[in-house]
Amino acid sequence: MTSREWLAVAVPLAPAAGAVAVAVAPRRSIAAIGLGAAGISGLLALMLAGVAIARAGDPTSGDWLVVDATAGLFVAVIGVVGLASALTSPVYLGLARSELVRPERGERLYYGTFLAFWAVLVAVPLAGNLGIAWLLVEATTAASALLVGFSGRATALEAGWKYLVLTTLGLGFALLGIVLIAPNVQGGLGALSWGSLASLDTGSDQLTVAFVLVLAGLAAKIGWAPVHNWLPDAHSEAPPPISALLSSALLPAVLVVAWRTDRALTPAVGEDLAHGVLVGFGLVSLAVAVPFLWRALAWKRLLAYSSLEHMGVLALGFAFANPLAMAGVVVHVAGHAIAKALGFYAATPLLTHVPAAGGRAATGVGRTCPPLGASMGISLATLAGLPPSPLFASEVLIVAGGFAAGRTWEAAAAAILLALGFLGLGHALLETIAGRARRRAPESPSGLRTVVALTVCAAAALLTLTALAPWLPGSELVEAMLDVA
Amino acid sequence: MTGFLAWLLVASGLAVVVVRRRSVVVGIVTVQALVLALAALLEAETTDDVVAGGALALRAVLLAVLFAGVVAQTRERLPVHARVPPLLRGGLAVLLALTLVWLVPDIGLDSRDAERSVLALIAFGVATAGLRRATVLQVLGIVLVENGLALAALELPGGEAAAGIEIGVAVDLMLISVVAVVFHRRIFGLFGAGDTAALRSLRD
Repeated sequence: MTSREWLAVAVPLAPAAGAVAVAVAPRRSIAAIGLGAAGISGLLALMLAGVAIARAGDPTSGDWLVVDATAGLFVAVIGVVGLASALTSPVYLGLARSELVRPERGERLYYGTFLAFWAVLVAVPLAGNLGIAWLLVEATTAASALLVGFSGRATALEAGWKYLVLTTLGLGFALLGIVLIAPNVQGGLGALSWGSLASLDTGSDQLTVAFVLVLAGLAAKIGWAPVHNWLPDAHSEAPPPISALLSSALLPAVLVVAWRTDRALTPAVGEDLAHGVLVGFGLVSLAVAVPFLWRALAWKRLLAYSSLEHMGVLALGFAFANPLAMAGVVVHVAGHAIAKALGFYAATPLLTHVPAAGGRAATGVGRTCPPLGASMGISLATLAGLPPSPLFASEVLIVAGGFAAGRTWEAAAAAILLALGFLGLGHALLETIAGRARRRAPESPSGLRTVVALTVCAAAALLTLTALAPWLPGSELVEAMLDVA
Repeated sequence: MTGFLAWLLVASGLAVVVVRRRSVVVGIVTVQALVLALAALLEAETTDDVVAGGALALRAVLLAVLFAGVVAQTRERLPVHARVPPLLRGGLAVLLALTLVWLVPDIGLDSRDAERSVLALIAFGVATAGLRRATVLQVLGIVLVENGLALAALELPGGEAAAGIEIGVAVDLMLISVVAVVFHRRIFGLFGAGDTAALRSLRD
């Protein structure tokens, strides 16, 4: 194995080892071990991402493992969001207690499951094989469902249960698709590598059915409409650091599996079907999300519906698959991850500042707590695509990519839906920051200092992304991503 | 696998949709998986086939112990009634199965009986998860779907991928089931019943 492959193996092993250490550690050192493991895991993920992106033109691709530019981008996102989620977890745990298990076991359950979730999640974009990718995606469900229901409240149980049952059933259909693909390749599970799938014979009804089943099954996990019902509930009821990881890292990581499957099976099922499925999910997700972005929703629920919108945008970017659209995807994945994670981290101080914000829209936060209002404002303005947000640049690139690919009606429909979504989130932004504050004197927020520090880092990263966006089309990174599978 | 055995699995799958008692459903899905494992072991031609059958048998026994334990420990004072009466449930499940068989073309398994059985078991599993209110029964609906997928993996021509798929699915299904049991216990503790009807407050 090369040094790059060893590093790729170490990236999921580090959080897995951390999870084991947390499971057996004395109670007083659980947090320290959890945070230490998160630090090491984040560092290793960034090292691997750096190597994969710097050597984008020279990827490693085997039956079990793939280290390419796409994997590098998503491993970087998981590493950064995972580390930031770990850093914001002590404040959350200081305020909340788990009723899912005995209270004295709450911290151990949280850090142990968090690191186990991280371990399987970061392995997803590195999977060189559809079968292994499916197993990893299914494993993320078990760990993350436990975290969604961590508080043990009735609403959290409802969200966690719905997430567990719906995504497992969805992935069952994806597995049926994989079982149908298996007879077409020679060899065992290892023969389901992306490269092997790309060499399958064309024109088989069986492969067409299998392709649709795999994509539809993964859609249930990505949260694409119309199979997204679990998404708003799970993202709004999970602890804020976990919501950030679910929205910013899990959904895009599963999207990579869908994208690799789509690209690998395009020769077998035809360009029209491969393109049409992604565009269909993308446009339907945007159309379903927009009406909810216009409603006065509780903060985390608003962010959850925004995830539905942004997964739709990414589906379109992957479907258009040209240098413009793929540059948009790169910026969108990174920008969405930073802005969405920041929004969820701000939920912890928000819920101590305005406890009612858990159930209804938070208004006038900029008046009652300017630093918290600034964090929420930067997050929401970025997600809305308000210039100079990198998501404005990425959405322009993706829509321009659609027009450049000759997909005029699809790109035009996307542009209209994005404009409507922008107006909805723009209204929410004004209400959240400068709307009328509730009469009752708000509480002083907890954990504000951490969120303000993260806001400064996030703002710098977002502006850097915006500055980089025009240079990405035609870059080695984007070209390498277009060569995936 | 003989056509008779395949249709026996389908009949037992339909029973999962209509039977009231959780303990009986645990028994049915366990026997189904054990029958599948036994068939795999009897027809085994390679080491991979033996491994696939063994993984399936081990998964069946472990899940039976897990679910029998949880049913015994969380006895409900009153039965959790399903949203839909048994006959209608059965009818809807059969309709879903027929629709799937009609929609899905030849999927390349060893026999057409096996293909239809796979699709029927998946349909019955989805119907169980969608139409029943009891938490344990919803998870057993997922197990029923996985039994259908196990049948598909075993009936693959060549069957080279079956062992990998069976082992992976067994591990994932165990993880999912353990998490589901944690949720079930908490739901039972909060509401006195493992009834998903109590979990309907999140709406937009």
